[in-house]
Amino acid sequence: MMKTQLLVVGGGPAGLCGAIEASRYGVETLIVDEGVELGGQLVKQTHKFFGHEGFFASVRGFEIARRLKNQLNHHVKVMLQTTVVGIYEDVVVLYNREKDRTFEVQADYILLATGASERFIQFENNHLPGVYGAGAVQTLMNQFMVLPGKRFLMVGSGNIGLIVSYQLLQAGAEVAAIVEIADRVGGYDVHLRKIKRFGVPVLLRHTIKKALGEEKVTGAVVVQVDEKFRPIGGTEREFAVDVICIAAGLTPSVELAAMANVKIEYVPELGGFVPYRDQNMRTNVENIFIAGDLAGIEEATTAMIEGRIAGLTIAQSVVGVDVSKEIEALQNELVEFRSGPFSEKVRKGLSRFFPQRTVEFSRQPQIDKGPVGKLRPIIECYENIPCNPCQTSCPAGAIEVPGNINSLPRIDYEKCTGCGICVSKCPGLAIFMVQENVEPGFDLVVIPYEMVPLPEKDERVIALDREGKEVCEAQVVKVLRFPDMTNLIYLKVPAGYSERVRNFRTLKRGNVLVCRCEEVTLEEVERAIELGFTDYEELRRYLRVGMGMCGGRTCRSTVLSILSQKLGKSPGELLKGRFRPPVMPVKFESILRGETNED
Amino acid sequence: MRTEYRVIVIGAGIVGCSIAYHLAKFGENNVLVLEKSYISSGSTGRCAGGIRQQWSSPHNVLLAMRSVKLFERLHEETGFDIEYKQGGYLILSYDEKEAVQFEENVKMQRKLGLNVELLTPTQVKKRFPYVNVENVLLATFCQTDGHANPHLANFAYAHVAKRLGVTMMTHTEVVGIEATGSKFRVYTSKGEFESQILVNAAGAYAGHVASMVGLNLPVESYRHQIMVTEPVKNFVDPMLISFSGNFYVRQTKHGHFIMGQGDKDEKPGLNYNVTFGFEKSLAKKMCFLLPFMRKIRIVRHWSGHYNMSLDAQPIIGESPQIANFYYAVGFSGHGFMLAPAVGEALAEKILFGQPRHVSISELNVDRFEKVIVREMNVV
Repeated sequence: MMKTQLLVVGGGPAGLCGAIEASRYGVETLIVDEGVELGGQLVKQTHKFFGHEGFFASVRGFEIARRLKNQLNHHVKVMLQTTVVGIYEDVVVLYNREKDRTFEVQADYILLATGASERFIQFENNHLPGVYGAGAVQTLMNQFMVLPGKRFLMVGSGNIGLIVSYQLLQAGAEVAAIVEIADRVGGYDVHLRKIKRFGVPVLLRHTIKKALGEEKVTGAVVVQVDEKFRPIGGTEREFAVDVICIAAGLTPSVELAAMANVKIEYVPELGGFVPYRDQNMRTNVENIFIAGDLAGIEEATTAMIEGRIAGLTIAQSVVGVDVSKEIEALQNELVEFRSGPFSEKVRKGLSRFFPQRTVEFSRQPQIDKGPVGKLRPIIECYENIPCNPCQTSCPAGAIEVPGNINSLPRIDYEKCTGCGICVSKCPGLAIFMVQENVEPGFDLVVIPYEMVPLPEKDERVIALDREGKEVCEAQVVKVLRFPDMTNLIYLKVPAGYSERVRNFRTLKRGNVLVCRCEEVTLEEVERAIELGFTDYEELRRYLRVGMGMCGGRTCRSTVLSILSQKLGKSPGELLKGRFRPPVMPVKFESILRGETNED
Repeated sequence: MRTEYRVIVIGAGIVGCSIAYHLAKFGENNVLVLEKSYISSGSTGRCAGGIRQQWSSPHNVLLAMRSVKLFERLHEETGFDIEYKQGGYLILSYDEKEAVQFEENVKMQRKLGLNVELLTPTQVKKRFPYVNVENVLLATFCQTDGHANPHLANFAYAHVAKRLGVTMMTHTEVVGIEATGSKFRVYTSKGEFESQILVNAAGAYAGHVASMVGLNLPVESYRHQIMVTEPVKNFVDPMLISFSGNFYVRQTKHGHFIMGQGDKDEKPGLNYNVTFGFEKSLAKKMCFLLPFMRKIRIVRHWSGHYNMSLDAQPIIGESPQIANFYYAVGFSGHGFMLAPAVGEALAEKILFGQPRHVSISELNVDRFEKVIVREMNVV
């Protein structure tokens, strides 16, 4: 039998923060977590957090997990790969996978931070391998470095659907489309923009009807729905994908709370069944606290604040310290974080437990686009989300998020020095820089870029607009690397394009090779054909396809068939050149030996 | 289909495309380029891509110097990276008489403003340690010489000309020309076209095209063979060339070595075959000159043509017999490197009456009525 003053169930952001605060005041704490490492969902979150500096704004999730772990002190014990299988009347029972045995724990206080589980949805063949939850895909990809497919269909456009889509692109996968049953995107506008500029289509009022495939997913049928979400016959579309990723939302994992006699209420705004709790995260059971997604589906920043409030309240009860000031400050933080339009649902849900307050903020966006010709940021942040790293990172004090973090940022172009730090810091990648007439006939656009590999200086790329459509050619004139991997790419674009260009794609980086000797990609071939190289021999000379060691043995027919498809001519008509010796590469010295009859 | 143009250019090699490009650049895009095959299908697409200013005849030096100026800004001007590299030309002499001539050439070249060095074999070895200088008597070196990718340079002119409004018709073979006095009627495999001005830039086929208007241009085409190796690490900067040694070789941006030699027994006429004798002979030479070459493999061997004139200098200008019939032909193996300057000069002559940057008046066909001074620096 183990004894502890505080048992924290779940080592994610809420549980960790609870443990940090309680142990800070000397509360003996045991954290139990199912995973192989602490951090919960943070360890797979490769995106930067919103919010403000006090709560790790502009820091990536896995880095937040690392920092939180470092804040745990010697009062904290951790058991990983361990599940709390039940909160019994007499004792709490743990099961440890490594030792394959149960443990009994007696705890004075319990903080339940069990998080949430993914919702599943019903469609034909949803049993097929290849149907995943978006969170599962994120875990496989970002924590265990396994990409479960090549081409994905994302079902759901909440923040998870959007973020995972973006991370799939970062991992080199293709996202065929995002389908959203509602008539608007559920997640943040900045997350949406991040994937749109890579050309990922977002189909509103669409849902998945059926997975295709026998043994595993080979495709998906998507259908349009009416205003009552009923499929409209005849609007079916097929997508060839090998993974269907379900991002249909989360639902709190209330099982343990319920078995501990915590009152469970159905609050759809908070994700379904949620435990009752007060402002201090205490449930109706005196010594049981909750925090994080279990207390209502929100995001990790509020989970961390709730965890801290719970930890402090527990410390107050166990040690008898007065931390009411700290708690009040954190409650005010929560009010601030929840004042924006995105938290409306959460506020409505929580008002069933205790009254909700909000703070006023500014909805006035930046209108002035700044002095033409000056290198300056353009902030494309139009939605009131609680976030202000642009303000706090600016060394010149040129950016203001007036009042509180829910306001839209405003910039004073006179103070701005064009350093680009805000561009790199913005967690939503919503800040760009432009400069008109950087040289005669050319504008400059600076783009925050989190893809790999990075383009090289002087590389020619294809510039894309906000929808991911090709707009012009551009040249990389500078690559500014930042240690947190949001690098800045300075693109020289034809004059007048700085307003449109918001992304780019590289020419060479496609991994579909047509000519393996000379490493020419399908994309390069198609691009060259678009540029007017419609003759096999011209293509050969322009791209060097078929000029390698194999003499074109493998790529000749491939290139001819691509051309043949594009031009509607037969490959026979297109092959004009001659076949040249030697059929296989021959060394000079072999020829010399032949001359002197050497053996 | 539009059938009337102010200018028709026959041939979409680099010379034809440079002329079309420069015409358009100077404001005249009422231009049609006719090409019997594809762009760069003739001599341009088969050449080694050397760009040299060290010539024995002053006209060639001046034209080449102007070309280098234009090559230097071609990337910026067209947006095409043509893999231009000014790694220099190292010309090796293995012959005493030639060595003496080299010293004369260098005097003349310097007088024209070209920075050329004379190097002893020891100096060559010191600077280019991978070169075997055995039997070398003397070398000349000009750093601003170099090389580029001929296909890309050809495409650069062609594509930008198109962008500027020039019409390009490939796979359109000229089969006959009628000169009516005020205009030309050009019969092709894709129909008839008319123009006020006609330009013959038909490379290996220049003599044939001239004969269609009844003109006898003193040019003849000779096969030249050329081959390329597998790519290796890029480390040879200059193009190495020898007239007495009869070879040239350079390393491309991608690391391949391109090389060739002349054959004095070659008969005039069009011939696209290749001989193993060429490979044997050049293999021996290359392994002697660049011993590291022994282990490198040949991947491709092809042939193209030098359209030779009587003095191995190009014939450029307007026909004295047929008004508005222009030609830029007989480049004798050096059309690629001279194309920018020639295209510019001929376009200027057509549009403004005379070239603005470099004179071509001594290069018309009537020069052969005087004494013929042959260009010596030809492989």
